[in-house]
Amino acid sequence: MLTIRKLCRQFREGERVHRVLDGAEAEIRDGESVAILGRSGSGKSTLLNVISGIDRPDSGSVEMDGQDITRLGEPACTLLRRSRIGFVYQFFNLIPTLDVEENVRLVLELNGVRGQQARKRSLEMLEQVGLADRAHSAVDRLSGGEQQRVAIARALVHQPTLLLADEPTGNLDEETARQVMPMLFSLARTRQASLLIVTHDTALARSADRALELRDGRLI
Amino acid sequence: MPAKSPQAHFANAPTLWAASLRHLLRHPAQLALALIGLSLGVATIVAVDIATSSSQRAFELSMRAVNGAATHQIVGGPDGVDEQVYVRLKTRVLPDGEPEVALAPGVEGYVSVGDRDLQLVGLDPFAAAELNGGGATAGGGLAGGGEQNPIRWLTEPGAVVMSAQTARQLGIGPDGRFTLSVGGRHYPAHLIARLTADNSGYDSLLLTDIAQAQEWLNLSGRLSRIDVRVPDGAEGSRSVETLRRELPPGLTLDEAPRRAQESLDMTAAFTTNLKAMSLLALLVSTLLIYGAISFAVVQRRRIIGILRALGATRSDVLRMVLIEASVLGVVGAGLGIAAGLAIGHELVHLVARTINDLYFVVAVTSITLPTSTIVEALLAGLGTSLVAAVLPALEAVGSTPQLGLRRSVLEERAVNLSRKLLLASGALAVIAGVIVASTTRSLFAGFAALFLLLLSVAAFTPAVLRGLARVAAAVLGRWSPLARLALGDIAASLSRTGVAVAALGMALAAMIGVSIMVESFRESLRTWLEHTLQADIYVSAPGPGAARPERQLESGLAAQLVAIPGVDQYSLSRIVNVESPSGSLPVNAVQMAAKNYQSMPLVEGSPQRAWPAFDAGGIVISQPLAWRLRLRVGDELKLTTRSGEHPFPVVGVYRAYGNDRGNMLMNLPVYRKWWGDKSVTGLSLYLEPGVKPAEAIARLRSLSHGRQSLLFISNSAIRGVSMAIFDQTFLITGVLNWLAAGVAAIGLVSSLLAWELERSRELALVRSLGMTPAGTAGLIEAQTAFMGLAAVIAAVPAGLLTALVLIDVINRRAFGWEIDLHLRGAQFVNAFVLALAAALAAGLYPAWRTARFSLASEIREE
Repeated sequence: MLTIRKLCRQFREGERVHRVLDGAEAEIRDGESVAILGRSGSGKSTLLNVISGIDRPDSGSVEMDGQDITRLGEPACTLLRRSRIGFVYQFFNLIPTLDVEENVRLVLELNGVRGQQARKRSLEMLEQVGLADRAHSAVDRLSGGEQQRVAIARALVHQPTLLLADEPTGNLDEETARQVMPMLFSLARTRQASLLIVTHDTALARSADRALELRDGRLI
Repeated sequence: MPAKSPQAHFANAPTLWAASLRHLLRHPAQLALALIGLSLGVATIVAVDIATSSSQRAFELSMRAVNGAATHQIVGGPDGVDEQVYVRLKTRVLPDGEPEVALAPGVEGYVSVGDRDLQLVGLDPFAAAELNGGGATAGGGLAGGGEQNPIRWLTEPGAVVMSAQTARQLGIGPDGRFTLSVGGRHYPAHLIARLTADNSGYDSLLLTDIAQAQEWLNLSGRLSRIDVRVPDGAEGSRSVETLRRELPPGLTLDEAPRRAQESLDMTAAFTTNLKAMSLLALLVSTLLIYGAISFAVVQRRRIIGILRALGATRSDVLRMVLIEASVLGVVGAGLGIAAGLAIGHELVHLVARTINDLYFVVAVTSITLPTSTIVEALLAGLGTSLVAAVLPALEAVGSTPQLGLRRSVLEERAVNLSRKLLLASGALAVIAGVIVASTTRSLFAGFAALFLLLLSVAAFTPAVLRGLARVAAAVLGRWSPLARLALGDIAASLSRTGVAVAALGMALAAMIGVSIMVESFRESLRTWLEHTLQADIYVSAPGPGAARPERQLESGLAAQLVAIPGVDQYSLSRIVNVESPSGSLPVNAVQMAAKNYQSMPLVEGSPQRAWPAFDAGGIVISQPLAWRLRLRVGDELKLTTRSGEHPFPVVGVYRAYGNDRGNMLMNLPVYRKWWGDKSVTGLSLYLEPGVKPAEAIARLRSLSHGRQSLLFISNSAIRGVSMAIFDQTFLITGVLNWLAAGVAAIGLVSSLLAWELERSRELALVRSLGMTPAGTAGLIEAQTAFMGLAAVIAAVPAGLLTALVLIDVINRRAFGWEIDLHLRGAQFVNAFVLALAAALAAGLYPAWRTARFSLASEIREE
């Protein structure tokens, strides 16, 4: 269970103050998929960053299974992110100097799974996203859809309890998005991972269990 | 998945290391240039270490080769030790319970064979063998038979022994006959044996029987020294005390290692300066490595962001960057050691030649690479890389791991940093000034101030670059938006351009500073020579070593030479080393012509008082000697005369550049009274008006013909020779200076190359808007040339300050020389040409690449 309480985050730009999050509140159940809608610059990505511990709120809390992430120190936050959270980004964010399988395996290695076991699991994951035959391809040789599938495999290979997706279709054409997104929902559901998708694609939002809108710093 | 310690797994994530390694390999040009910069910096240190330690090692080996087991030496004045002293000591009855003391007489001097200078050592092989206990020394070997046949040694006139390698180099075969020269006198010699010892200690030595050496060196009945070996411990101390008591006045008993160290100490300031030059190269390379590593980190900000999002902690990333830097450092150091060996091989000849000219004869035939140098090189390489990597690594891990950090944020930070660095630069300069002002003699403090000053240059250069680029963009931008684009880019990319230009600026400042110092020194020397060398002809006995007693005119010849028609006035001089409680000191005992007094520039003491006091027995000392021994007019300097120590009043201090150890002038009759040495080393002849020097020289030659080959040098020639020696001495400084500048140039190429490659998308956009490939290439070249220019502008005032520190602090503290500042346009033109060449070279590859790349793919790349 992910509980967001009275989350506030503001940024300064010279004299101006932007209240990006202003008392945002939400509860996401285990295995539930939630879409967060909002205009550009409404603070959707900031919300994901705060939830994952990458960014710190000015006030409020984010609890994962009763543990307040905002109170954790930087190393503990990193540890939590490493073991319990998976990310899918708009621009895929794959590491260009690693091949497909290595990109997936890296997360396992960071979590202490090494050698043959890590290889086996990353290949199994790639098989689930239909890319086992491209395991040793360079990532920049893949199409956008394929790259996003690698990103999904990487996000799920270590069996996180929370999957965060930031505009996952933002860099895909409509057809490719239609092929990739069901895979994301299906894999998250199968693994009982909560899925939080930030998007301004209303069609995608409809695929989630429910949708929230981020407006004026609050989740409605 | 269970939570585990973050550090535990990151270090064991092989894919991460693969990513790190592949990143480096994907940018081979960047990697290669960073490695070249680092390895050249390390190589310079290694090369200087090799050159100096090889020369010192060769000297130590040659000392050890003669009578290595000696614990002490009995030495006398310029005419050495009466051999009767040796006989008396050898045959004395020892007090009860006093242990036996081994004694061996030695005669030594410098001789020339062909164009090679060698140290002639006259030995009593049996006494030497006894002293060395039959050990592997020249004496021990000769007494032991074999090729070194003692019968031939003792009975054959002109019999000598030398190392097989030296014989081969001189083209003297077994049983070969050749001529050796001692102070212009020529003698036939016969090589009866060659030493094939493993060490190279014999390579500068020519061994002969003691009586033969006495004959050749004109030391009949005299010894250069008596080597002594006393037992260890209290017994030995007792023996030393007894021996001291029994020595006649004028002789001293010194510890052998102390005397060897004294000789090596002569080269200390020289080697310190070389070391400092090599450290300069490393300092420059530190900035370059900083540039390369910070670029590598910045290039990977996005990847670092991904890693942080995936769960890599700050310390994980810091460790990754630092380990990468360490690997780079170790590889760079390894390459540096290899390159240093090659450079050192060449540099050792220059260093040995300078040591031969200025200090003592040494033959360096083998290269020494001390373990300490390898450790030093590895630490320097590793340390440099780590120091260079720490800042960018801290910067990378200190930021929030948001992906795609905006470039503008990064540049904003760079601009803020450049402002802080401007303040730091001021602080560094102030600290350097305080160090200089608060210390008076410490050479280390002088170098510390110099390096702080150079760092201060590096710190203010980015702000200078930004300021210049903004002003130029504002002015030139009115005419051309392209100029605004080109110059604005430089100002807006300070995180890249600033470091490269700072490194170049620092190297140029050092280059300008060193060249001003050398040129000022040269001009001061030229002026000094014009003042002091007033005689028309100089006559001296040729040979190595300025103050060697064997360089003397044949008895009676001096009187005949000064009596030729056309000589108006003359000076006689005897140049020797005398012993003192402060070690061996050079004395120029001179009977001055009236004109000679006027030409001697006193910097302390008035000529009206100093010269009469000089005639009466006082000494006039050179600035380096006054500095080294902390003497002023009115002080006394004790010298060991024939009748023991005697204080000589210092009556004047004169400006001199003859040597860095210093010198003293003493009235010749005073010298003869105290040391009983009637020899003459040289003459200065002042001709009557209308007498041509060439004609007088011809007369002098015919007088000395068949008696002694003397050097007759006209006034203009001796000035030329002096300047040539100066230029040769500073050749090494020039080589090292260019090495440091070369490192900087490579760094500039590396950094600018990286910057231009990073901008390839932007350049592709400009091209897609209609700019021709040639136009884009011109744009790139203009940008890099502007950066070279900015480096020069920052380096000129800093170079002047550096020159002042080198002249007034470093040289003064190291050698005591007073140098007048002389500026020449060439010093600045050279720096400008180097900066421009490096800058244009840096732009070549990106310009070529921009002209060839596919616009479509560059623009499409995300």
